Amino acid sequence: MEYVYTLIILIALSVILASSFNLIIGYAGLISIAHPVFYAIGAYASAILARDHGVPVPIAMLLGAVAAMLASIAVALPSLRVSGDYLLIASIGFQLGVLEAIKNVSFTGGAGGLTNIPPFLIQSVGREAYVVLVVAVAVLTVLLTRVIAHGPYWRALSAMRDDELAFGALGRNAVAMKVAVFALGSALAGLAGALYAHYFRFVTPEQFELLQSAAMLTMVVVGGMRTTLGPVIGAVLLQALPQAITFLDLPTALLGPLQGLLFTGLVLIFMFWRPQGLVAAGEFWRPSREASDVGRP
Amino acid sequence: MSGVLEIRGLDKRFGGIVVADSIDLTLAAGRVVGLIGPNGAGKTSLFNLVSGVFPADAGSISLDGERIDGLKTHKRAKRGLSRTWQNLRLFPSLSVLDNLMVGPRDYPGEKLWRLAFARTRVERAEGQARRRALEVLERTGLVGVAKTRAADLTFGQQKLVGVARALMNEARCLLLDEPMAGVEGQAYETMQRVVRDVAASGVAVCVVEHNVAFIRDLCEEGVFMFAGKVLARGPVTDLIADPRLTELYFGT
Repeated sequence: MEYVYTLIILIALSVILASSFNLIIGYAGLISIAHPVFYAIGAYASAILARDHGVPVPIAMLLGAVAAMLASIAVALPSLRVSGDYLLIASIGFQLGVLEAIKNVSFTGGAGGLTNIPPFLIQSVGREAYVVLVVAVAVLTVLLTRVIAHGPYWRALSAMRDDELAFGALGRNAVAMKVAVFALGSALAGLAGALYAHYFRFVTPEQFELLQSAAMLTMVVVGGMRTTLGPVIGAVLLQALPQAITFLDLPTALLGPLQGLLFTGLVLIFMFWRPQGLVAAGEFWRPSREASDVGRP
Repeated sequence: MSGVLEIRGLDKRFGGIVVADSIDLTLAAGRVVGLIGPNGAGKTSLFNLVSGVFPADAGSISLDGERIDGLKTHKRAKRGLSRTWQNLRLFPSLSVLDNLMVGPRDYPGEKLWRLAFARTRVERAEGQARRRALEVLERTGLVGVAKTRAADLTFGQQKLVGVARALMNEARCLLLDEPMAGVEGQAYETMQRVVRDVAASGVAVCVVEHNVAFIRDLCEEGVFMFAGKVLARGPVTDLIADPRLTELYFGT
């Protein structure tokens, strides 16, 4: 039973990560690879606050989300003021830098990882309670993306992606919107990290490297970018698939590279044959491809 | 004469290229000023300077007596400055109605915290924006295509959508960049009527246009620009009749 609970928690965490990444890369059109690092910041901040500073776990979890949010604003604000492309470069640097820092300072446990993270709910109430908590956060995340993906905010985000200059000349503040979505998405990733840390009670910097970035991107692309349900389906599939591979009895040295190949292969296949993902996002895809011919008589 | 928009001593250089050379220009409420001149004269650049697409090197721009030249583009729009674009810049993935509904000066739905904590205000603003958008679409003869994606319209209709979207701001000053280029027939008539009505409602309007007939019919005053300078100003018929300007325009 514990295996099933763990699987449900991993899937729910992936749903939170993929949905929040969809906000950033899909709805706001911000290209960043650093989502796993905000996941890591949430996990480490919450774990260290609870373990070494006696902060009650629920508060530590929220502070983990806040830490991820603040870090994301620090990355996004300077780069987005210049242009969206700079965010990609800044995110790569940030991802590598933070993970390197975690590996090389002592209070994070270094490359060996952080152990003995205080548990939450599992011993006092039971494992089921924690499963309910994580699933509830995942459901709330999906509902939140639904609110953002409809009505005036959706309209403004779509307009901003279509033409930022015209969007600004209408009185809309593109930089503020981008930073807000980036901060919200990263805070959710941080919360997911905190939920991970206090369940598995052990985190290492390796878990948050490029393979995770690829996994999150694959979930969003395969499921369907700019849809509410796409990242959910992508997350379930992409969590189940590696689990299935582990049953193949392959040597562990092969498993990591195989997963990486699988993720990039899937992204390529979907980009060529079904760019809208499994759940199609209506007409959102066509226009961006046709945008270049708009404006010609 | 005190104007809605006052430009004084505006300078802008890109390296050795002068796009604005101590430009003075006043746009008054209820009047349409035509900005004419050959390609590369600096007409669109002037619009870009006024709307804040890039900053000026020197000079001042005031809207209703308040300096706006230090403000970002979106803040200038919030003060009541609206513009259209030579190359349309519509939001192709959105419907015509949604294109317009992005345009009101006050748009509380662009702030996440308002979506969470001030839903009533957001919903009220949405209702107002929808009513205003439908009214503007009525005036521009676009009600029939309100639900059509902007990218699927004819070019003339897209030009009208651009102007209609700019009207959502209820601006004090409206800058129209080549509204007639590529527009014929029904859309031409509509465009003329719309611009005239906007000016009649007290908005200061400035039009960049190569269509001389359109400028002559609409504008009380013309301003002739060449190489970033204002060379002449006065009644449009006089500017057109001036052989010196005609020579510059056609580059004989």
